[in-house]
Amino acid sequence: MTSVIEARNLGKSYGKFNALKNVSFEIPLGRIVGVIGANGAGKTTMLNAILGLTRYDGELKVMGQNPSTNRAKLMEDVCFISDVATLPRWMTVEQVLDYVESVHPKFNMEVALDYLSRTTVPLDKKVRKLSKGMITQTHLAVVMAIDAKLLVLDEPTLGLDIIFRKGFYSSLLEEYFDKKRTIVVTTHQVEEIEHILSDVIFIRDGEINLHETMDDLAERFCQVLVDEEDAERARGFGPISEQKAFGRLNFIYNGVNRKKLKELGDVKMVGLADLFVAIMTGGK
Amino acid sequence: MTLEWKEDQPIYRQLRDKVAAQIIKGSIKEGEPLPSVRSVAVDLRINPLTASKAYQELVDEELVEKKRGLGMFVIKGAQLKLLNLEKKKFLEEEWPLVAARISALGIDVKDLIKKSKLN
Repeated sequence: MTSVIEARNLGKSYGKFNALKNVSFEIPLGRIVGVIGANGAGKTTMLNAILGLTRYDGELKVMGQNPSTNRAKLMEDVCFISDVATLPRWMTVEQVLDYVESVHPKFNMEVALDYLSRTTVPLDKKVRKLSKGMITQTHLAVVMAIDAKLLVLDEPTLGLDIIFRKGFYSSLLEEYFDKKRTIVVTTHQVEEIEHILSDVIFIRDGEINLHETMDDLAERFCQVLVDEEDAERARGFGPISEQKAFGRLNFIYNGVNRKKLKELGDVKMVGLADLFVAIMTGGK
Repeated sequence: MTLEWKEDQPIYRQLRDKVAAQIIKGSIKEGEPLPSVRSVAVDLRINPLTASKAYQELVDEELVEKKRGLGMFVIKGAQLKLLNLEKKKFLEEEWPLVAARISALGIDVKDLIKKSKLN
């Protein structure tokens, strides 16, 4: 298993505030990893450290490089799309592509133009005249043309309409992702990415609460809807969360034998958004 | 191919069932290829690993075979095999529930047969 990202005791503090508290994790090649957390949980700090955009404590290796000292080398194989990353607004799309071609050793103009030709992005318009969706598409064109090994997406679809958001992830799967590439994505639109993920990281107050493959997650967690009179019995199995739902109660369990839970009712899988809420608001 | 995912089964399992249903229906014929893992992943916006896991299930059940460099193909006899599996599943799992419902509602079986023949 080749690791694309290896972090050991990665930390970052702003004065007295610890944005990241010595987290350790590994991300292997060929995965799509979702980093889920509330605002201010430390997601963007983590991504910025990976991209070499911020100083950090601890050890960090990205594609075998140290992001703080080898950023230029790293950027040959790493791409980044963020809600706040901006293209120069005074350039035309064509000028943006020309610029990237002149500074990036791995940029392939043909691929970028081919991708854009299938979109509605006008090459001769200035970036500031483009819609938000067109700007994201221009970003995508650059990413695909660079043939990056690691793609980091920070809220990539924020402010985009639903049709565009679906198209965005389809394009990634169709034209970018394969076994030799890795995607790390953060978003609040959990439902939108849950099925494309292979792994998930929950982050809260600068700490990693959970890091699992989606397969293991589906094995570990389950939910059962029970009537009020069975509530005590359901509590006996040690749920991690309990919620009222139409006069009945929904319990979420972590690592409890499904066969035993079956006597309470239908055992179902837990969606990522519900699981996130359960873990963040509940206990362990 | 559009479908809503349910919460009672993992997605790879649901995808396996969906493909199996298409083989039974004959919309993917024996000897014909299944859509590629990538195109399924793109269409349904699921991880390619999930799509290949679904296909692997069908391979393990000897309904589909992998041809190197060409993709997955429906094996001869898969349609009948699946049909028999489904029949067995209906009789063992679904029918007892339906039968229990029929008797709970006090429906006359002869009436029922007559009605379904009329339609």
